[in-house]
Amino acid sequence: MRTIFYLLREAWTNLRTNRTTTMVAILTTAFTLACVGIFLLLFVNLRAAAGWLQEDVKIMVYLDDRVSRESAATIEQQLRSDRALASLVFISKEQALGEFKAQFPSESHLLEGLGQNPLPASFVVTLSPQYRAPDAVKRWAERVRTITGVAKVDYNQDWINALATVIRSIELIAIGVGVVLSAAAVTIIGNTIRLTLYARRDELAILRLIGATRTFIHIPYLLEGAALGALGSTVSLIMLKVVYEVFRQQVRAMGRLAGLEQMVTFFSPEICLALIIVGMGLGCAGSFVSLRRFVEAKV
Amino acid sequence: MIQLIHVFKYYNRRAALTDVTLDIEKGEFVLLMGPSGSGKSTLLRMLIGAEQPDDGHVFVQGKNVTKLKSSEIPYLRRKIGTVFQDFRLLPKKSVFDNVALPLVVQGASAVDIRRKVTEALRAVGVDHKRDQLPVGLSTGEQQRVCVARAIVNGPVVLLADEPTGNLDPGLTSEIMELFKLINARGTTVVVATHDPLVMAQVNRRVVKLEQGMLLPEQRVLA
Repeated sequence: MRTIFYLLREAWTNLRTNRTTTMVAILTTAFTLACVGIFLLLFVNLRAAAGWLQEDVKIMVYLDDRVSRESAATIEQQLRSDRALASLVFISKEQALGEFKAQFPSESHLLEGLGQNPLPASFVVTLSPQYRAPDAVKRWAERVRTITGVAKVDYNQDWINALATVIRSIELIAIGVGVVLSAAAVTIIGNTIRLTLYARRDELAILRLIGATRTFIHIPYLLEGAALGALGSTVSLIMLKVVYEVFRQQVRAMGRLAGLEQMVTFFSPEICLALIIVGMGLGCAGSFVSLRRFVEAKV
Repeated sequence: MIQLIHVFKYYNRRAALTDVTLDIEKGEFVLLMGPSGSGKSTLLRMLIGAEQPDDGHVFVQGKNVTKLKSSEIPYLRRKIGTVFQDFRLLPKKSVFDNVALPLVVQGASAVDIRRKVTEALRAVGVDHKRDQLPVGLSTGEQQRVCVARAIVNGPVVLLADEPTGNLDPGLTSEIMELFKLINARGTTVVVATHDPLVMAQVNRRVVKLEQGMLLPEQRVLA
């Protein structure tokens, strides 16, 4: 217990003694993590937008004209029991005609001339998010096409492919930028810790001489790195929140983009907490790298 | 207690120790004499595992130091007290905290720390300075604090590397008397020095090193 208290006190003393270095490290880490944060925020919002667009992708399952009401009900039941299905709406021949007339009132006389309703009954299907990948949609459509009574399955393959490519690109860029900027944060914190280590090299030598284990020597500096990372991460979140609110206000002020500010979201409290924990981890990693290089040297 | 068997050490092909074989019994007081660069410090550093010989073996309390893993070295050092010419005290910690450090490192209880630190400070005669920072002490007092830190956890061996290098003859005599007292309690003491005055004051076994080689011994009896 006394040892833990000693190690915590040492970490706190380190931070207080090197106040300027600590402040510089927190701010530089905050700016670096804010860059990661801006990208992450873009990523989260773009992904959400892509998700809404994907939800908008409807698959039309057209039924054969000869299918009776009972058979249509059986097909509906079969589709509803499918795990991939998120929602399904039945549109009868009459409803289809009504919708056509409502959408194209000037063309409605064309159908009247035919004597009978040429529009087929259909199901409008939305798939669950995990089945919206292009291949999955294709497989699902091919499977449904084989059901007796189904005349045609129609969806916009190009649109789905384009969306999938956009989402994949966003993910790849996010990972790349995240890795590069995280490495920068590790280096910044690592250098700060190295400065502290250099300033306290005599103390470290004494600790080694009197039989301090590597863990005992490392812990205050790892705690210091974690504190720097967590503080830097918290400051970066505050900075991002300010930028985010200013952006929303600007958008609201511009009449043409009204409504967009409702769609843009900030990180949830869980993600904020996760980012602070990630900051702590990066800080620890920075300390660890410096300690490996600095403390390994023997007395 | 301490055994070096055919130890060789080189720095950039220059021999620091050449075929050194030495036995130091438990409870002995040994003076390691020699001019600067003769290999005294290298030999002491080998005893605490801070240097590895290029050839040969080093034993402390029956343990082969050359075979110890780096994780085992701290535990070896806890049995060895070390005193240096430049004191190596932590300037921002009080005398009490400096002396307590070896006990804190070992996870001793607060009660134990208070008792043992008080005993060690009394033994070296600086108990009244326990709350002061090292910078407020005289050089002799700083070296006494350093000795207190070295003996606070009851080491089996006390190593001192030029402990009187920064002290005047009067203080040198005081420190050497202190070492004799510690030795009289059963601790093996090895003092490396180039100061002939120390040899004259101590009158114990003298091991001479010159250019990394051990010279024939002379034992001076008190």
